[in-house]
Amino acid sequence: MDDPKGSAAEAAAAAKDLSVYVPEAKRKPGELGVTAITFLLGALGYYFALGMTSGEYSSPSVFPKLASTVIMACSAVNFWKAVRRERPDASSPSVAQYLLPLDVLVVLSLLVIYCVALPHLRFIGSSYAFMVAGMVYLQRGKHIVRALLISAGSLAVLVAVFRYLFLVILP
Amino acid sequence: MEQNLQYFLIPFLHWEMMLLIWIGVFAGIWVGAIPGLSVTMAASLLISFTFSWDLNNALALICGVFVGGVYGGSITAILLNIPGAPAAIATGIEGYPLAQLGEAGKAIGLCTTVSVFASFVGILVLAVAAPVVANFSLKFSPRDFFLLAVMGLLLIGSIGGGDPIKGVTAGAIGVLLSMVGMDPSTGELRYTFGNIYLMAGISFVTAMIGLFGVSEALTQFRNSGKGSPKQNLDKIIPSWATFVKYLPLSIRSSLLGVFIGALPGTGGDVAALLAYDQAKRSVRNPSRPFGTGAYEGIVAPETANKGAIGGAFIPMLTLGIPGDAVTAIIIGALYIHGLKPGPMLMIETPHLFWMIVSCLSIASVALMVLGLVSVKPFSKIIEIPKSIIMPVVIILSVIGTYAIQNSVVDIFYMIGFGIIGYFMRLYGYATGPMVLGLILGPMLDANYRRAMQGAENQLIPFLQGFVTSPISLVLTISIVFLLFSQTKTYRRWRGIL
Repeated sequence: MDDPKGSAAEAAAAAKDLSVYVPEAKRKPGELGVTAITFLLGALGYYFALGMTSGEYSSPSVFPKLASTVIMACSAVNFWKAVRRERPDASSPSVAQYLLPLDVLVVLSLLVIYCVALPHLRFIGSSYAFMVAGMVYLQRGKHIVRALLISAGSLAVLVAVFRYLFLVILP
Repeated sequence: MEQNLQYFLIPFLHWEMMLLIWIGVFAGIWVGAIPGLSVTMAASLLISFTFSWDLNNALALICGVFVGGVYGGSITAILLNIPGAPAAIATGIEGYPLAQLGEAGKAIGLCTTVSVFASFVGILVLAVAAPVVANFSLKFSPRDFFLLAVMGLLLIGSIGGGDPIKGVTAGAIGVLLSMVGMDPSTGELRYTFGNIYLMAGISFVTAMIGLFGVSEALTQFRNSGKGSPKQNLDKIIPSWATFVKYLPLSIRSSLLGVFIGALPGTGGDVAALLAYDQAKRSVRNPSRPFGTGAYEGIVAPETANKGAIGGAFIPMLTLGIPGDAVTAIIIGALYIHGLKPGPMLMIETPHLFWMIVSCLSIASVALMVLGLVSVKPFSKIIEIPKSIIMPVVIILSVIGTYAIQNSVVDIFYMIGFGIIGYFMRLYGYATGPMVLGLILGPMLDANYRRAMQGAENQLIPFLQGFVTSPISLVLTISIVFLLFSQTKTYRRWRGIL
């Protein structure tokens, strides 16, 4: 705690970990698309705010319009700044690869399946399946028995603590 | 005076009250550490099964949970970058980089020590100056709350990461999303598109769990090849010199927390963010640059949100007005036990006031012991492989989200926010400003409109109010100063550039 400045660069590197894929000086794959999406969000926000009661300074539409305008203005600036930066390298990943590397894609798919299964399998069944599948995949198919046991143990603790100690209703 | 001391000693003379306070602090730490499980929820659950208890015992338990719960929110913020509660968002900004450097133990140790100090500052102000602070807080008009919210929005510069324009974009999206649902003033539906689930609005806690919890988990999966950092747990308790070094900042932030906590409708979350921002602007030589693990960035929000505990009790005990959601529930408990919280409470039942002061003091001592004892087991969490801890974190997020209002739809929202948060991080949009917008949006909207209605929808009288009311004038000057302090001219003058 007394002399931590030496590792500041290391901390900064950890904080900017995600920029590893594309250097900061260059545009990230899909960055222009993101600014377009935020602009569209602002425009839609403003459009739907037009249907709200307005006409007075204290109307319900004041802040929706204001927030939408700020989003559009900032998105325009973000777009301009992104355009001025260099294009991504030819060797940089495609938008889909940049957004969804295999591990993230698999976990997201598991999450979606979990959401769909939750009302049918109930909390314990769907959560156990999600945890086991997630752990087995992330450990590259190794330690299957360990994943089964850890998932069962964790879930038992969670249910005991939340359902019976904290009286929290589970999904 | 002697009588007050006798009242103060009540919990010390009853072992069951002491025990309940310690149990409350212990349970509170764990409840607070889990995103979605809030102190408010724990307090309301406690009301349901303590209503047949003796009032003193019930209050002892609730006070313990309150103190422990506010502290617990910071543990997961430091270890996993997933704040257990909105009041811990600022703590995570500096705490998580420290955990990545293997200094989670030191960070939590410092957090515990300054938290206890700040709790005592809050309790001291509650004990000696409660009526004065309460009367002052009541002088705040809707225009002043609006200005306070504007001041809060300026924090986007502090928590927005690298690009301020992207921070403002995320903050404005948060404000826009906070408008979804039924307008509390007129009942008009905004952005609901006929969907019944949208009518209740979007809970900022749901959004917070998704934007911090799930998006952090997804980001971790992206870097799943990296090992977990080994934590250094040799020196957890900060040295006396370290404590003294941070004492001025602790006092400033604690007092800020007490005052913000005493304002009805605001609480530890706003106090912590304002204190973090204040520290970022005022500390000249932080232990590390802010954003990369500055200990000052842990001290300021932690002392502010603990100071807010004592602050929240001030209007409750002196005027019968809750300072935050938890004290609102405690007011309910008092009604259940046949008491009438209000200005007469301190006159008719002074023992209650001094007993609460005493319970909070004991809870703070318990926090010191239990907090420091918990550092090692908590710090070990971060060393668990990501492939095991992250699926468990997601399930915890699901439990926490569902517990807010027992709605599966909230789980879908939470996961949706998680995916949005993950994409935001990839493109340099910090998630903190969006949560800030969701928290402050309703406060901005409601108080601006109330203030404008107070000025009969006339722009000139509305604007005149900013300079004719002393409180508004001070807040307006503060906002102008905060804006000026972000300019290069000021930063050059202060030697920051």
